[in-house]
Amino acid sequence: MFNGKLMNMEDSISKEKVNYLKTKANQIRNSVLDMCVKAGTGHVTSAFSCTELLVALYHGGILRYDISNPKKKDRDRFILSKGQGSAILYPILADVGFFPKEKLNEFCQKDGMFGVHLQHDVPGAEITSGSLGHGFGIAAGMALAAKMNNEQYFVFTLLGDGECHEGSIWETAMFASHHRLNNLIAIVDRNWLCATDFVENSVSLNPLDQKWISFGWDVVNINGHSFEEIFVALHGFRSNKRNKPLMIIADTVKGKGISFMENQILWHGTAPQGQEAKQAKRELNTEGCD
Amino acid sequence: MLTQRDAFFDKLYKIAKNDRDVILICADMGAPSLDKFRRDLGSQFINIGIAEQNMITVASGLALSGKKVFTYAIMPFVTLRCYEQIKVDMCAMDIPVTLIGVGAGFSYDDSGPTHHATEDIAIMRVLPNITILNVTDNIMASACADIAYNYTTPLYVRLDRAPLPEIYRTSENFSNGISCLRSGKDVCIVATGNMVHNALEIADKLREHSIDAAVVDLYRLKPVNSESLLNYLKQSTMVVTLEEHLINGGLGSIVAEVIVDNDVNIPLRRLAIPDKYCYTYGGRDTIQKTIGLDTEEVGKRILKLFDKKKVKRLRKN
Repeated sequence: MFNGKLMNMEDSISKEKVNYLKTKANQIRNSVLDMCVKAGTGHVTSAFSCTELLVALYHGGILRYDISNPKKKDRDRFILSKGQGSAILYPILADVGFFPKEKLNEFCQKDGMFGVHLQHDVPGAEITSGSLGHGFGIAAGMALAAKMNNEQYFVFTLLGDGECHEGSIWETAMFASHHRLNNLIAIVDRNWLCATDFVENSVSLNPLDQKWISFGWDVVNINGHSFEEIFVALHGFRSNKRNKPLMIIADTVKGKGISFMENQILWHGTAPQGQEAKQAKRELNTEGCD
Repeated sequence: MLTQRDAFFDKLYKIAKNDRDVILICADMGAPSLDKFRRDLGSQFINIGIAEQNMITVASGLALSGKKVFTYAIMPFVTLRCYEQIKVDMCAMDIPVTLIGVGAGFSYDDSGPTHHATEDIAIMRVLPNITILNVTDNIMASACADIAYNYTTPLYVRLDRAPLPEIYRTSENFSNGISCLRSGKDVCIVATGNMVHNALEIADKLREHSIDAAVVDLYRLKPVNSESLLNYLKQSTMVVTLEEHLINGGLGSIVAEVIVDNDVNIPLRRLAIPDKYCYTYGGRDTIQKTIGLDTEEVGKRILKLFDKKKVKRLRKN
């Protein structure tokens, strides 16, 4: 285990790139908010906790993908195991060009191409997801297939911390380390909240990093809203000679960027309406999201 | 004596030897015929441990990456234990993973209800996109390996654990999903799996009572070949379904649905496991006798239907 903050500066990314990604993250949060407010539904707070993580993957040059050929054989796979995070993935897929941004206006609408949870046939999406504890195992299967075929792609997967309550997560955790899936990189969006309570109040996961270490994973703890730390954690991952899968535990804030939604239990799976929607929009566009 | 799983895995071994993309995952489950697969094709064999949920998700990930994946466990564990994974990760995405379950009905007789596969037909057949094959003999089991290899959508193959006699010829084409093994005008016994063998025996006994019984093997339980089934049903005066599965949702329900949905007026009796768990020991025959599904009792139950007044009433209603 190492802590992202402790790595030396040569692993950091340029200020220009960080600024670009921060602007992009803010733009994506706006898209999420617009999309969910219009639909009157969607997991806004779950999307905002992992915004920087996904922007880093898709806009920061980490994932290899081809918008003209979403199923290209040597693409990296991104498996959204926390399927409620589709509210962030769809705007990102649209933004990088997998489908027109206008499609976001059809979120949860009649004849629209997607709803609240992830759907496998959306261009750029890999799986159907919404029931927790599934995508992680699929990601492991894809990573194993790459090993079997001697293919070089990486598989990234994003879990919720509440999702780590699922027993199937730990079945996969054992499997992945047993098979030395060093082409599998998992990120836990550690936003400390599940649907109805704080994770530590319902069933404690702490010490989460020690759990993953004991299951045979390399573990990195980072601030999940810091692009610098995200890039430190992923520095040189393609050439790294690790013989274990990598777990990045990203400390995040559920609802990040909207003061009245941050760390609030009752905002799970809900989109703001009326004055609250206006207030949220105002905060996103005046206060930034640092 | 060779069992259905030996026949299936022997054929799968031959297929896998010529195609490195064929992957077999077992959940800590063995079989004599698996030993050579594990020995000779080790890179295509995964013992995933006693972790059936992970077995299905990993299988789906492999299949999404172009592998032809077979998962294998005792029947309740490869269906009920990981049901939601089958729904979401196989059926909702329509992924070609094959589930191989061993232990149909009371195959694992003295192991008790945890190991009895008596609910799986009911729960599996409601899943869109899946095909269910319930194997009758070793020849069909071997053919099912070929069918599964060429399948492009989710598939569930039910295998009996016990050695059962061979009914079919090796040249049999199993694409129809249904087979009329014996014609008869008085009663059509529609059976599946091991109960097809019982049905043939029962038909012989009924003949001694001058009752002409047809025996139909409905081995593809989903999608049902309704046209052929109706054609066979209409040739008899009444229909009896016979299965080693709970009464709710299994073969009897399937046949009832086909009859109702097609406005056919024919009496139907469903002979199946009563709606309760079975803690009877002493072997499969003892269990069948205890719940009235042994050939003698089933024969008597069918004979009782031939009280003329009763038949008349059934037809009228």
